[in-house]
Amino acid sequence: MTKKSYLLLTLLILVLIAVAAQFTPGLSQKAEINPPSTVYNRVVGDTSRIESPCSNEHPEWRQAQVIEGVEIAASPLCEPDNPYDVAASVKGVNNISMATLMQSNFAQDAVIMGDDLDHDGDPDVIHIKLEVVEFNGSSPDGDFLMNTYNIAPGIQPGIWVFAPKSSGMAVKNFNSREARPFLRAPSPTIRVEQGDKVYITLENTHYLPHTIHLHGVDHAFMTPKGEDNDGMEMHPVFPGKSHTYEIQPRHVGTMLYHCHVQTAQHMMMGLGGIFVIEENQPNNWVQTFNIGAGQVRHPSVGVKKAYSQEYDLLYQSIDKKLASTIQSAIDPRLIAKDMGRVYNITESFENYFLINGHSFPYTLRDSMIVVSENENIKLRIANLQRSQVAIHFHGHKATTTAMDGVDLPAGAQVTRDVFDIATAQRIDVALNTTNDGLHSYSSGLWMFHDHVLTGTTTDGIEPGGNMNLLAYKGFLDEHGMPKMHDELFGEVFDKDYYAKKQPLWQQSKFAAAFGDVGLISPDIKKLVIFGLLIGFIIALLIAIRMIYKRRRQP
Amino acid sequence: MTLFLSKPLRFIASCCIAVLLTLSISRQAMAMMDHGGMLMDETGMIMNANTDRLPKDCQKIGKDVDITIRAGHKYAEKFTGKMFAFDNQQWNVPPCARINITFINDDDIRHQLMIHGLPGYIYPQGMFHLELNGKGELKASLIVPAQKKTYLVHCELPQHMEKGMKAQLQVDGGDVDLPSIPGLTKPVRADSYPVDWTPSTLAVLFVCVLAGCLIPLFLIRKKLD
Repeated sequence: MTKKSYLLLTLLILVLIAVAAQFTPGLSQKAEINPPSTVYNRVVGDTSRIESPCSNEHPEWRQAQVIEGVEIAASPLCEPDNPYDVAASVKGVNNISMATLMQSNFAQDAVIMGDDLDHDGDPDVIHIKLEVVEFNGSSPDGDFLMNTYNIAPGIQPGIWVFAPKSSGMAVKNFNSREARPFLRAPSPTIRVEQGDKVYITLENTHYLPHTIHLHGVDHAFMTPKGEDNDGMEMHPVFPGKSHTYEIQPRHVGTMLYHCHVQTAQHMMMGLGGIFVIEENQPNNWVQTFNIGAGQVRHPSVGVKKAYSQEYDLLYQSIDKKLASTIQSAIDPRLIAKDMGRVYNITESFENYFLINGHSFPYTLRDSMIVVSENENIKLRIANLQRSQVAIHFHGHKATTTAMDGVDLPAGAQVTRDVFDIATAQRIDVALNTTNDGLHSYSSGLWMFHDHVLTGTTTDGIEPGGNMNLLAYKGFLDEHGMPKMHDELFGEVFDKDYYAKKQPLWQQSKFAAAFGDVGLISPDIKKLVIFGLLIGFIIALLIAIRMIYKRRRQP
Repeated sequence: MTLFLSKPLRFIASCCIAVLLTLSISRQAMAMMDHGGMLMDETGMIMNANTDRLPKDCQKIGKDVDITIRAGHKYAEKFTGKMFAFDNQQWNVPPCARINITFINDDDIRHQLMIHGLPGYIYPQGMFHLELNGKGELKASLIVPAQKKTYLVHCELPQHMEKGMKAQLQVDGGDVDLPSIPGLTKPVRADSYPVDWTPSTLAVLFVCVLAGCLIPLFLIRKKLD
């Protein structure tokens, strides 16, 4: 073969390659007349990933009741607070029967109430003990999370909380990895009375150092013994150690407490809660702990004078990257490094948005505000998110009565429907349910949520985040769940929905219109041409080699 | 007043009101009337209906063709990846036909039936336009020219045509097919979807490569021998 024919053959091969390139099959392909049909990811009737909206475990906890002489308001929610915990929080574990203590979850020294210093009928020396609890942490015993706590169906980010000192198992039972219900996010609201001598002991049950900083609460810089009383970064309480902060607050209001070690990370991990100082009143037994925040089932004397109900609303957010630092390693050195030096909060995002420790739809189980018409309800709203919140109530305009624990004079109180609250700020809000076209537009199931647009999503999936309902009583079913929501419940009480595997509106007639798109069948004609061309190119190369070899043979 | 009248009466009454209003209010509206008119009532609007004006290339009105066209979401359900549609995507009529259209909207929202490309001396802007404000029905006629041609039929609400409300009216078989008519013609700009690569498609590819390679080699060897 001549040089010229080699050149021609090479040229032919190049042309063939160029032609074949036009027919290259790929992983995706343009549709012809009809795009692929809708596919369903789940076998019809498979409910293994779907949860019951309300398991209705303790219907007897809902009604108004008196335990140990403590009046406990009704809480018609699906998951009401344990009334025995409320009774123990009001009386102190030292003033209740063993039977009540056993029904509550407190340790025998969690809340001790002592002398009535001002002789007005309520105890004024209070000893509070807090532990640090980790949820959804790692285990060397297997590829699973321990003390699991779901913020939404199937969502288990690493979380830390301050928890009242408890006794017994931290999981539901020996065979379970699920945290017992008493142990939950957020860190509980703590309530004391103005002038009380309060001893707050942090018993650090965690594997990293922590402190308690009483943000906005009247406290001396040092304890009488000359030790740290501000919970500062330079005085960490190390694992296995305890430290007692002492206060006798003179000023009343809604304040905070939070860990001040590696503050940015530890607060975002969940180590912060609401701290309320109630006005000093005679016979004022305040509910020391409001586990899970939400409704205060035993409001203080001062609050009851002006309001029919009281709610603590704590907003917090989670960065899934930060939360995963306690899940990707077991060694505390690795965790400390990963959280403290590898993770960079200045390059972070918020992915999960919680109100009272839950994201929608779990917020509907234990955190709705349940009202009747013509009520005046006190809300204490605190923002412990990294970012600002803009809390919006549908159908209502409420009035701020205090900011950061300082009462506003009548002229400075603002009635509005979006409340912007910067990080660590608190507002006290009077929510009036009088149907007058201003305070309330009508009864109903009114949504309330952070109107910053990320706030109603769970890792970007809507509806989620801190979405919650202001529910008028007639709109709740016998389990305390909102009516008119059945179709939505089928969609959102689904682990696959928040795992981003299920499209929305699949319970409606529009299921096919918004379902997932199936695969497209490959274009066989193009495939055959491509295959033949490639085969031919290979054949040409082999032929050239064969001819070359033949020529060289003698 | 219109509430107490039967439907056809109501329609005529509203047409009269519309005519009176348009005559009295503005020159623009008067111009519309001059051009064959726009009739409006609370159910919808008819623009450029024509029962008698003959297109230039027609000797006389041809066959009377009655067509019912339904519009709504449910007609899109048989097409994948569409949201709104007409119940039919193609109509064929003889030259100079008078088409008597019954347009029915089965949705709760507004839909339109627009036919484009008609002669402007009868149909201002070359357009015949029916619009229903919600569920309901309208009747109107038009006369098509004799020319062999394809007319675009669509709903002009934003994204309705793009999401499926597109069809074609062909006179005498039409001259072309319009693109992206649901179930009928290919889109110009198609979406890409992941390919269903199965073992059998891979096998086809493999066999083709093998065939493409071995057959020429076999032929070459035969020639060389």
